[in-house]
Parts: sequence; structure tokens; C-alpha cells
Amino acid sequence: MTDIPLVPAMAAAGPDEPSRIGALLGAVLPPAACLLGLVLLWAVGSATGLIPFYFLPAPQAVALEFVNNTEVLVRHGTATLTEALSGFVIGNATAVVAAAVLSSVPALRDMFYPYALVSRAIPIIVFAPVVVVLLGRGYPPIIAIVSFTVYFPTFLNMMRGLAAVDADLDELLHTFSASRRQRLFLVSFPTAVPYFFAALKISASSCFISALVTEWIGANVGLGYLVVVSSQYFKLASLWAAIFTSAGLTLSLLGLVHVAEHLCGRFTATAAEMDA
Amino acid sequence: MSFRFPRFPVSAPVRDTGPMMTTTMAASDPGPIGLRAEAVGMTYRRGQHETVALAECSLDIPRGTWASLIGASGCGKSTLLRIFADIVKPTAGVATLHGLSPAQARANRTFALVSQQSTMLPWRKILGNVELGLEVAGAQPVERRNTAMQMIELVGLAGFENAYPHELSGGMRQRAAIARALTLRPQFLLMDEPFGALDEITREKLNFELLRILRETGATMLLVTHSISEAIILSDQVAVMTPRPGRISHLVRIGFGHDRTAAMRDDPRFTACEAELRHALHGGAPLH
Ligand SMILES: Nc1ncnc2c1ncn2[C@@H]1O[C@H](COP(=O)(O)OP(=O)(O)OP(=O)(O)O)[C@@H](O)[C@H]1O
Ligand SMILES: [Mg+2]
Repeated sequence: MTDIPLVPAMAAAGPDEPSRIGALLGAVLPPAACLLGLVLLWAVGSATGLIPFYFLPAPQAVALEFVNNTEVLVRHGTATLTEALSGFVIGNATAVVAAAVLSSVPALRDMFYPYALVSRAIPIIVFAPVVVVLLGRGYPPIIAIVSFTVYFPTFLNMMRGLAAVDADLDELLHTFSASRRQRLFLVSFPTAVPYFFAALKISASSCFISALVTEWIGANVGLGYLVVVSSQYFKLASLWAAIFTSAGLTLSLLGLVHVAEHLCGRFTATAAEMDA
Repeated sequence: MSFRFPRFPVSAPVRDTGPMMTTTMAASDPGPIGLRAEAVGMTYRRGQHETVALAECSLDIPRGTWASLIGASGCGKSTLLRIFADIVKPTAGVATLHGLSPAQARANRTFALVSQQSTMLPWRKILGNVELGLEVAGAQPVERRNTAMQMIELVGLAGFENAYPHELSGGMRQRAAIARALTLRPQFLLMDEPFGALDEITREKLNFELLRILRETGATMLLVTHSISEAIILSDQVAVMTPRPGRISHLVRIGFGHDRTAAMRDDPRFTACEAELRHALHGGAPLH
């Protein structure tokens, strides 16, 4: 028996191409124009001496730095990228596993969750010198600090996300006699996906910030180190090139997280609700 | 539909007693034990506030027979169903399914519940949702896909298996929820207003489709409905509930046997049942 002549779902697919390109242009053009305007203002300000060179060198000087000192920027950028990304992956992975374990074993949650909450109040960066003493100079202490910074927002968000399961879905799985593991994978993780991405967006920038700051304290390579050294030697173009490079890296990771969320969103609740 | 359920190996005698009994055999033998509620009470507590949802509620649905619950909104019908489905524990009395506690019955996967909300995983397509019960039960992917497709076809949703729940109407989602329950081949089918959002024609079509499935599987059914005629079409007995506290005030036996066709509506007994149920719903004294 068939009834209700509704168009089978998939026929009503996405919008046609031209309008999508138009929308993209509409989203990209205004901020691009704004950026161009700012750079022009900056150039004019520098040329007329309104912006002192010891505060911010002219745009062409910074651009020249990228061309002439590419090798230096790449070397320090690679170091920072390695530290930030390693910390990003380790911190987030640990947080997801810890939250999954704690939220499915009530006894463990009751034991550890209060401490997990309290430890958020500790400014991890003040431990950097101690960690450097413990782990020596180089990548390990920095990755450890970055992982720690990344860990907390994701852990807390995942705890909330895993607990946000719809009561009706919980009952459904209950009547199916689903195991704890089945509930976790069939319902809890998909429910927590939006919370997870919210945390990833926070950690995408915080992983670079904590990598840079830790480099000030205990490293001889990395963009944070380059910033310190450049300012000591009054190499302002190099300083600003380092700042722009780290901003670019942060934005790239943030962009990747957004793309991943969009791709993932097709398989989770958010996509269905946003399209509806 | 060529798909057939394995026949349930228990004979299903029909109890035809009470005032509605006319032509069919007058068997008074109580039949093998099926769903049973004995003096079930349910009091919800929220802080100081108490709601007595059920009090002294007793019901006996012999194995292989069908029963409906009707009654005003909020009188405790869903609560009774949720007690059988082991979602809430009664605060008094006992409920059993074939002699087992709801918790044991759930562990043995002997029942399926179609809840009032027709709950679906919003991020899964209809096919994935209909497969869910079998997936949890550990069925092989090919087997569960085939069974799910057959049930989707059975409830008239063929062509929608790749749609997301939010793309379907409320009635279509209800049918998907019924399909999901049927994939489990339950011995006990607990249904909470499963046809509530359907138009009269689709509803009656599905009523008789459900009758066919019940006959084939020998399943025992407890159905909550607001439609008197649906209750008569689908039941051997109809329990009428009164609110505050929820209890069963009338029990009306429907003497139509199990071979039913749409022609039963024209039977004078049908009209008589309807009249008695309507009278009971309006709080009348039992006619018997
Ligand atoms: N979880 C709960 N907590 C507190 N009270 C509840 C809860 N569930 C139900 N109740 C109360 O129990 C009573 C019976 O509810 P129930 O859902 O069983 O009614 P119903 O007969 O299914 O109604 P309807 O026909 O509208 O679905 C209602 O008064 C309701 O407020
Ligand atoms: Mg209800």
C-alpha cells in the first residue's frame, strides 16, 4: 500500500550551483574588501609617519620579511605547528576517552568528576617552568602543556554532551536491552558531536596560544621564540611576520575544524535540524 | 507481501464471556498466561508533589489474545504500558509477561514497545532506524536489512527508507516505529496510540494489516488508543480506564474471534460494543 504522494526524500536535494557560488561571493567579498581597506590605511599611515615604524613597520616591509626570511619563518612555524597539533590531538583524544569512561561508569564519575572540575581553575601555564624542568627543553614539555590546555574544555563539553541524550532515545535503547557500549556508540556519541565541535573550536586557537607562550619560557625554536628574539634585537618586521604566521596557522586549523564539522554534520542531529 | 512470520507455537483460545458474547463458542477457560497486572499501583513523586497515576489496576490478557486500553487523557494508560515495558517500576502490585517480570522479559527480548512519541534517531535514515532493534540484538547486517525493508514495505513506507525522520510526517514516523517493532518479531506487542496521527482510511488499512500480522505471529497485544472503533477492531477485550486514580472501570469483551474483515463494522454486535464502550467512557455504571 502506498499513499501520500510526497516526493521521495532525496529528490529535494541542495540548492543549484549558481546561487551557491553567489552566496559564497556574498560571504567572502565584504570581509575581503574590509581587509584591503585596512591594509591600505596601514600603508598610508606608515608612509605619512602617522604609524611609527617602531610600533608597526610598513606593510611592504613585513611582506619583504616573508620573501627574504622564508626559511626562518618555515623552520620556526613548523616547530610551533608540530607542538600545537600534537597537543591538539593528544589533548582532545584523551578528553574524549576520559569523558566516555567517566560518563558510562557512574562510580568513577562520582570519584573523579569533582577534581576534574576543580582542576580547571588551575592556570596551567604557570606550571610551564616546572614541566620544563621535569621533561627537559624541546618538544615534550610544550606538547604536554598544550595537551593540558586543550584537554579541559573538551572534557567538560563531552561530559555535558554525553549526558544530553534525549530521554525518549534513552528509553528506546533501554527497551531494546542495549548494552552500555551500544548506548555510547549509537546514541551518546552522536548526541555529543555538536558539543565536541564547540570544544574543538576553542582548542583550535588555544593550542597555538599555549604553544607560543610556552616557547617564550623554555624553547630555542618556534614562533613564540622568534617573537621574543625579534623584539630583543628590535627586528620589528620579523616580529610582525611571526605574529601573522601564527595567526594564519590558527585560522587554518579553525577553518579545518569548521569543514570537518560541516562534513560530520550531515550525519548528526544538528544537520537535520539546521536544514529543517 | 510474501514475508511470513514464524508461527508462534501456542494456541490462542479466545475468551468470549460477558454480555457481548453472542454467537462464538462460550469458552470460559482462562487461557495460557500472557500479560498480567495484579493490583498495580503507580505513584509519581516529585519532591512533595505526588501524582497517583494508577491504583489497584488489574488486567489479564491471555497469551495470543489482544486487548485495548481506552480512557481520558492523563488517566494512566501510558504508565501501565511503560510498567510492562520495564521503563518504570510500579510502586505497588506486580506486572508479568508470560510469568516473567518486565525486567526479565526485556532481557529476553520478548516484547516490543511502540511508544507514543515514535522516537527515532534524528541522524539516521528511516532504514537505519527500522534496523536499530535488530542491530542492538546482534543480527547480521544482511538479515537485518532484509527484514527492515520488508517491514518498511509492509507499513507502506517503501521509497522512504533513505529519508531522515524529520522529512516524514508524524503518521509516517509512527508507521516507521511500528515497522521497527515488528522487525523484532515480539511475543508481546505493546503499542501506545500507534495510529494516532493517521487519517481514517490509512488507519483502518493498517488496523487490518496489523490483525494479519497478529494472527501470523500469535503475538499478544496491548494497545492504547483513543478510537473506540479501533479498539473493537483490534481487540478481544477492551479495558476502559477512569482517571485520578487511574483504574480499570469496565472490561468489555469483543466476541468476534480472530478472523476479522472490514465487514465486521456492519455487524450489529459492533454497534452494540461501540454503544457500551461509549457509555462506559462517559463514566456510566457497568452494564453487566
Ligand atoms: N514521569 C512522570 N512524572 C510525574 N508524573 C507523571 C509522569 N508520567 C506521567 N505522569 C502523570 O501520570 C498521569 C498518567 O499519565 P499517562 O502518561 O500514563 O497518561 P495517559 O493515559 O497515557 O494519557 P494520554 O492519553 O494523554 O497519553 C498523568 O497525570 C501524568 O501527569
Ligand atoms: Mg499516553
